[in-house]
Amino acid sequence: MSALPLDWRRRWRLRRLAACPLRDYLAAPFPQPGCDYKAVEYVAVDLETTGLNARRDQILSIGWVRITGNRIHLDSCRHRLVRVTGDIPADSAVIHQITDDEAARGLELASALPELLADLAGRVLIAHHARVELGFLDAACRRLWGKGLLVRTVDTQAVARRLLERRQIPFKASDLRLHALCERYNLPRHGAHNALSDAFAAAELFLAQAAHRDNGHGMQLGDFL
Amino acid sequence: MDVELIEIREFLASHSPFDRLPDSALDALPQRLSVRYLRRGTPFPPTDDDSPCLYILRRGAVELRDDGDNLIGKLAEGDLCPSPCGQGGLGMEGLSGQTAEDTLAYLLPCEVLDRLRGAHTEFASHFDASMSDRLRRALDTIKDDATGTALMTVQVGELLNRPLVHGGPDISIRDAARIMSEARVSSLVLTDGDRLVGMITDRDLRNRCLALGVSPQEPVRRIMTERLHTVREDTLGFEALITMSRLNVHHLPVLDERGVRGVVSTSDLVRIQSANAVYLVGDIRKAESLDTLASISARLSELQIQLVHSGATASQIGQAITAVTDAITLRLLELAEAELGAPPVPYCWMAGGSQARREQSSHSDQDNALLIADHLKPEDDAYFKALAQRVNDGLNACGYVYCPGDVMASNDQWRQPLKIWTKYFNTWIKRPEPMALMLSSVFFDLRPIHDPAGLFNELAERIHHMSRQETIYIAYMAANALKHRPPLGFFRKLVLIRGGEHDQTFDIKHRGIVPIVDLARVYALSAGLEDINTIERLKAAGEARALSKDGAANLVDAYEFIGTLRMRHQAEQLKRGTQADNFLSPDDLSPLERGHLKDAFALIHTMQESLGQRYQAGRFA
Repeated sequence: MSALPLDWRRRWRLRRLAACPLRDYLAAPFPQPGCDYKAVEYVAVDLETTGLNARRDQILSIGWVRITGNRIHLDSCRHRLVRVTGDIPADSAVIHQITDDEAARGLELASALPELLADLAGRVLIAHHARVELGFLDAACRRLWGKGLLVRTVDTQAVARRLLERRQIPFKASDLRLHALCERYNLPRHGAHNALSDAFAAAELFLAQAAHRDNGHGMQLGDFL
Repeated sequence: MDVELIEIREFLASHSPFDRLPDSALDALPQRLSVRYLRRGTPFPPTDDDSPCLYILRRGAVELRDDGDNLIGKLAEGDLCPSPCGQGGLGMEGLSGQTAEDTLAYLLPCEVLDRLRGAHTEFASHFDASMSDRLRRALDTIKDDATGTALMTVQVGELLNRPLVHGGPDISIRDAARIMSEARVSSLVLTDGDRLVGMITDRDLRNRCLALGVSPQEPVRRIMTERLHTVREDTLGFEALITMSRLNVHHLPVLDERGVRGVVSTSDLVRIQSANAVYLVGDIRKAESLDTLASISARLSELQIQLVHSGATASQIGQAITAVTDAITLRLLELAEAELGAPPVPYCWMAGGSQARREQSSHSDQDNALLIADHLKPEDDAYFKALAQRVNDGLNACGYVYCPGDVMASNDQWRQPLKIWTKYFNTWIKRPEPMALMLSSVFFDLRPIHDPAGLFNELAERIHHMSRQETIYIAYMAANALKHRPPLGFFRKLVLIRGGEHDQTFDIKHRGIVPIVDLARVYALSAGLEDINTIERLKAAGEARALSKDGAANLVDAYEFIGTLRMRHQAEQLKRGTQADNFLSPDDLSPLERGHLKDAFALIHTMQESLGQRYQAGRFA
């Protein structure tokens, strides 16, 4: 997906949407791939879900944190539990440790998602294995406002894979997992399996990947897309 | 608070100086931070910071170098980097840095830091202007931390100065008695695994065994006391004493959550009041035999432990212990004279080294020499040889082991009349040689212990006169004073040594105390001062402008701080019943102590450098 069409599609979709949080989000231009990556703002996002199927399963929690250039801002940490309909499947509860009771105390997706979109406006989304986050967020936007999510995205897993492939280093699928990569870059271990912790780990991983690729001659946002 | 922020809060709370912030301030702190990742080899501080901030290392390492590219420090997890924040804090002036590993850092904006410093005095003290202020405060803290020795405040757990002596209930009475006699204890705890089943005391052996004709082959179970009163380790001394007198017993087992830890006796409690130098010296004066002296001197470790607990500084402890050593030396001389008869001519018993400086810790080596009146006849030396041998052997039996360098009065070389001593010093001063320099720490620190005829003054005056006219030997001694270098600081669990090497432990005596003692000696000699004690030398040298007053005061603080850490380290070892040594591992130190120690090292280094420049010490090294 080349750069121009994405922003073109953003404007196209903006014109066809009635007033809603998604429209507000789309009103801000996307950062251009030719920008210096340090001048760009990012939001690292992670979701906990009841399963892996974006059309059938539901979002349980959203964690995100903002990055400006090469700094993570801790004051922007957000963690929102989302109320789900029906029971949480036991096998997913084992992983994210969110119980039905906790989820029942959560926000409606319709109030949690606008908060994320407000932070995401004009920024680049960072996620590890971003397909899952994009799929669920896209499905949620469609359900709530009738149109899917458009967003410029850095997938830290894809960045890692490209780096290993370019250097012709053999790797296993497990080497590309978030925690394995964090260890590789001398990053601290984060405790709980939690949407904010994982969003934070992805943010730190992005800083590390950027620092390792940056040879001082300037890099563009497009180098990470 | 969110999980992630809690985790960062916990990290901060476990590191100095953030551990001194109240909970409310700590709770609000994480969200004021931002996070950066610096690749290995990145210049530090990075050039692209838009606003000034303090870097707190979360992962990785930063190396700091001075303008001559010498490594002066290496920072790791939990360390604060020099920052451009506010007045007073350690800044990067004259320093350059670089990340030595891939590094993740938390950035605290200077304005937030300044507000925290304004609101929290204890926190602010970490960033205080001068490192000498920090050292002085650290010393005060040590004194404040003192638990006091009075029976009202001491907990019985603190009186347990030796590992538990115990046996099984089925050993024979004879074996039980043997264990007690070997361990020199008056009671024996009988245990079955961790369970306390009974106890016997000296009195039980007498009343329930010997008096009743019970065979010593019988199991000790037959004569033990089963229903025991016990105390907890946190029971106060006076409560334990009241319990004992109420029950008319002399021993109480002390328990902690795991089981029996030891036994506290009436004599332990009484001794809190009496384990001070004054009592020991009184006992020494009355001692009629070497055995008695040896058993009194065995209490020196206890004296050191008690003094450390009562918050005494290294110099107070040094004075107290040396007072005991002096008394033992004098008593040994009296006992020897009683046996050998009056001396044929007057003599002076001289102590050298740490005894002369009044800086001993319990059981330092012995360094001594004999100065004899010049009208000594050749046949008289047999008397002094016998006298010296008795005293040297006696000191050794009292725990002051023979000097490894044989600087003792029993060595013919160091048992000489005044005219020979004068010649010795003349040679050392005029032709400083390596050997003379080695001996200088002993013989330029010299103090008369027993000198009824006042011989020492004459020698001291001659030395003073000679050294006034010759200054070259001071230059040699200055070079010698630079031989023992302090470490740079700490890096993770290691000691960082100049040149970038690491070590697991460091010798606090040779890398911390000896350098200051050596500096003080050079200052004192160069100013013609007669003080011997290191602190007195430093103070007098400051007055005499042999070094700046500030320099002198800072060295005194550094010396007290390092010395007190050493005394405490040794007291811990003595308490565990192990041999006291000088090897500290960074693990033994709190982050705060590590910080202060690093300050003290930096100060010693600065003073050594400036001494080296003054005497161009390189020429003589």
